[in-house]
Amino acid sequence: MTDLKRIRNFSIIAHIDHGKSTLADRFIQYCGGLTDREMSEQVLDSMDLEKERGITIKAQSVTLTYTAPEGDSYQLNFIDTPGHVDFSYEVSRSLSACEGALLVVDSSQGVEAQSVANCYTAIDQGLEVVPVLNKIDLPAADPDRVIDEIEEIIGIEAHEAVRVSAKTGIGIPDLLADLVKRIPPPEGDPQAPLQALIIDSWFDNYLGVVSLVRVKQGTLRRKEKMLVMSSGRTYQVDRLGIFTPKMQDTELLAAGAVGFVISSIKEIDGAPVGDTITHADRPAPKALPGFQQVQPRVFAGLFPINAENYEDLREALGKLRLNDAALFYEPETSQALGFGFRCGFLGMLHMEIVQERLEREYDLDLISTAPTVVYEVETTKGELVRVDNPSNLPPVNQIAEIREPIISANILLPQEYVGNVITLCVEKRGVQKGMQYMGRQVQLTYELPLNEVVLDFFDRLKSVSRGYASLEYSFKRFQAAELVRLDILVNSEKVDALSIIVHRDQSQTRGRELADKMRELIPRQMFDVAIQAAIGSHIIARTNIKALRKNVLAKCYGGDVSRKRKLLEKQKAGKKRMKQVGAVEIPQDAFFAVLHVGKDK
Amino acid sequence: MDPSPPLQLRVNPPLSLYIHFPWCVRKCPYCDFNSHPLPTDLPEQAFVDALLADLEADLPTVWGRPVGSLFFGGGTPSLLSPEALDRLLQGIRALIPLVPLAEITLEANPGTLEAGRFAELRAAGINRLSIGVQSFNNAALAPLGRIHSGEEARAAVEAARRAGIENLNLDLMFGLPGQTPASALSDLRIATDLAPEHISWYQLTLEPNTPFAHTPPPALPDEDQLVAIQEAGEAHLAAAGYGQYEVSAYARAGWQCRHNRNYWLFGDYLGIGPGAHGKLTSPAVGCIERTRRVAHPNDYLARSVPQRLAERSPIAVDLLPFEFMLNALRLKEGFPLALFADRTGLSPATIAPTLQAAEQKGMLQVTAERIAPTLHGWRFLNDLIALFLPD
Repeated sequence: MTDLKRIRNFSIIAHIDHGKSTLADRFIQYCGGLTDREMSEQVLDSMDLEKERGITIKAQSVTLTYTAPEGDSYQLNFIDTPGHVDFSYEVSRSLSACEGALLVVDSSQGVEAQSVANCYTAIDQGLEVVPVLNKIDLPAADPDRVIDEIEEIIGIEAHEAVRVSAKTGIGIPDLLADLVKRIPPPEGDPQAPLQALIIDSWFDNYLGVVSLVRVKQGTLRRKEKMLVMSSGRTYQVDRLGIFTPKMQDTELLAAGAVGFVISSIKEIDGAPVGDTITHADRPAPKALPGFQQVQPRVFAGLFPINAENYEDLREALGKLRLNDAALFYEPETSQALGFGFRCGFLGMLHMEIVQERLEREYDLDLISTAPTVVYEVETTKGELVRVDNPSNLPPVNQIAEIREPIISANILLPQEYVGNVITLCVEKRGVQKGMQYMGRQVQLTYELPLNEVVLDFFDRLKSVSRGYASLEYSFKRFQAAELVRLDILVNSEKVDALSIIVHRDQSQTRGRELADKMRELIPRQMFDVAIQAAIGSHIIARTNIKALRKNVLAKCYGGDVSRKRKLLEKQKAGKKRMKQVGAVEIPQDAFFAVLHVGKDK
Repeated sequence: MDPSPPLQLRVNPPLSLYIHFPWCVRKCPYCDFNSHPLPTDLPEQAFVDALLADLEADLPTVWGRPVGSLFFGGGTPSLLSPEALDRLLQGIRALIPLVPLAEITLEANPGTLEAGRFAELRAAGINRLSIGVQSFNNAALAPLGRIHSGEEARAAVEAARRAGIENLNLDLMFGLPGQTPASALSDLRIATDLAPEHISWYQLTLEPNTPFAHTPPPALPDEDQLVAIQEAGEAHLAAAGYGQYEVSAYARAGWQCRHNRNYWLFGDYLGIGPGAHGKLTSPAVGCIERTRRVAHPNDYLARSVPQRLAERSPIAVDLLPFEFMLNALRLKEGFPLALFADRTGLSPATIAPTLQAAEQKGMLQVTAERIAPTLHGWRFLNDLIALFLPD
């Protein structure tokens, strides 16, 4: 058993692209966790999606053996964290398994808003934060300026920060030496009643439910009977061990350790994230404080293109939900799209990722409706209704007041883009709450309606600041606003899945833009298609998709039939991916049209 | 694939023979046929020998069946010397019986024929000439990469007539760069004034892997203009006595192309020469086969006879309804209901639900005797025949 004093549990806090995964890979390499042959780029981002997008979505962990220059051997447990604002909840989960965190800052770019927010989370959770300057090899690196920024914006001492290049390997030994010195060892008693916190659980097709745990007290051994405290159910431990990053079985996990547990849990909600595992025969007196339950903020309908896949979609959502506590879903029925689920997400990236995982990992063809936020509606009878679906908005004459969610947004950006970003915030109905100069960076604080942010705020912010602005936000309150429901009618038939809630001042423009966008996105059909935008019974915009006149091959003389067949098969497959609403075939994109509006202007 | 029961093929369909000549003086940028630049030393002798060897190799599959039509396509088969053509035709006649008065078509390009040759072609046995005019408008011909002028095209038609060719087809295109209904009609008027028996009037399409698909020519008419051109052209052709019988084919009464009709009625055909496709019914085995020979002429000439056959495989049973409809529904008059079972060996019940669905969509007219596309179904023929694709 490893002496507690020789264990270090840590995370890395870093903005996307600041080199967290590369640094993790370097640690693994330095400590010999993988042979060179096994070392594929960025091993920790194990989902294909994560590798492709270069971001971390789910927590992963790796246990490494590090020998310090003085000869002492340490067990380093590194718990990876996601870097995107949508996943701040996951970050706090990962941090709860650690005693310290490395704050990795790109020494050419400086501090970013999300790192600031995550850093505060770490400090709040009592972690030791160790600043690290990465990408020191870049010609544009300006470590002294970045040190000032760290001290000024985050307020931690940074002059001693180790300077590294994860890419070239410069400074890695110094960083590891610094890490074991500055991050405290875990505390805990291996003899005490068992308390192991479930940091993450996921469903593996071969192994069943796998949980990543941090043992706080006591020792868990193979074959023991464990108790999941929230459900009161007991299971036998089949396997446990550590990730090196390969799965490596061990006989036990003792206080201070981070590792995996596989038991006889078959049902996917048997090991909820944030729950505590203890021994069935010697239970701990109480569970560890779990995680704060997160509220999904963005909602959208997900519908299978093929109605037969409804049950598959339900099962897939269940599996994803197992280790994605922030994902919410409940059945929804749409006149246009049939049976599906209304799903709640942390933000737009979370939504995109869930959708992509459903399509890729579960091979489902989905249609998603435009994302919406949750509104509070006070009815004339004095009831309070929460509306997460525009088509459920009560009739206008029953609404006393609609309230929209307001967020407080912190935007960190270089001075030269302040003008652009302020203009954007004003366009998005933002109210400035603060502006602070910090070195060459400026921190803007705005209160913004969340529904404006979920549409295209991220993309626009990146484009008006050439990618330099970063954003972090938190929910503030519900606030009354002049909101109306904008309906889209296709050949005079209202398509419920296309309705959106907008501010009255923007409704005319939005209606026109949306109708125009629909005309672009819906392919010509065999008949004219009329598109109308309406508020209540009042038509505010109309446009027409002219009928296709013909679809026929000019030539066919017995020759290459297979090529013609493939062409027609392709046409047919394209149609299958469309949803038939009345007689009109509407492509997936169109249900998302509101997101495309104004993008190419 | 699932072992499927042999098809109930009771009769052999009519048989045609297609001969491919794979060379052109110059490849046109819209063309996706198997054509290659004409070499300076065309191995005519070897080529004719190869074609005859192909035919001989195919004979056992069509034993005893006479050939109803021959079609020399390309490429530009009129580049073949009359002597070589004469030897080829004699060779074919010696190998396989032709029905009396078999239709024998040769494709010709106006720029490649001297007037004197027509008589020789006719003497060799060619009784139908298909001239690739495309347009009589010189300004339209240049961007198409054609090597001839409108005047040469007219001269070719007149020379063919003087040489006694009684069955003439003119190939014309519409939807050319900058074309309007007026300019398309003026092209058609010149064509109908020349009074050929047959006109193939087809829309320029940008085929994959052609220079036009890569860089489309400027000012192509849009869809609405194309339909306006098509409607004006169809009216003119009808008024001039040319009845439309297929998507792109128009003929005076009694002069429909027998060879192409056989394709469209899902008949059988042998295909010899580089890249030539064949389709053959084999009642004994209970299947319908497709054959394909290697495409590149050099490759073709270098290989032994059996090795030239790049593919010979039965059409999957579940694809037969689609392949039949792909052809038969191109015909305006459609087909007699019994033909489906005769040609595919499948029971009409296999397509009954699809026929009904297509009828409900207003795309097919189904009576006890005939099945024919409606005008709507014909305009959206791709959608109509796609209904017959297996899921």
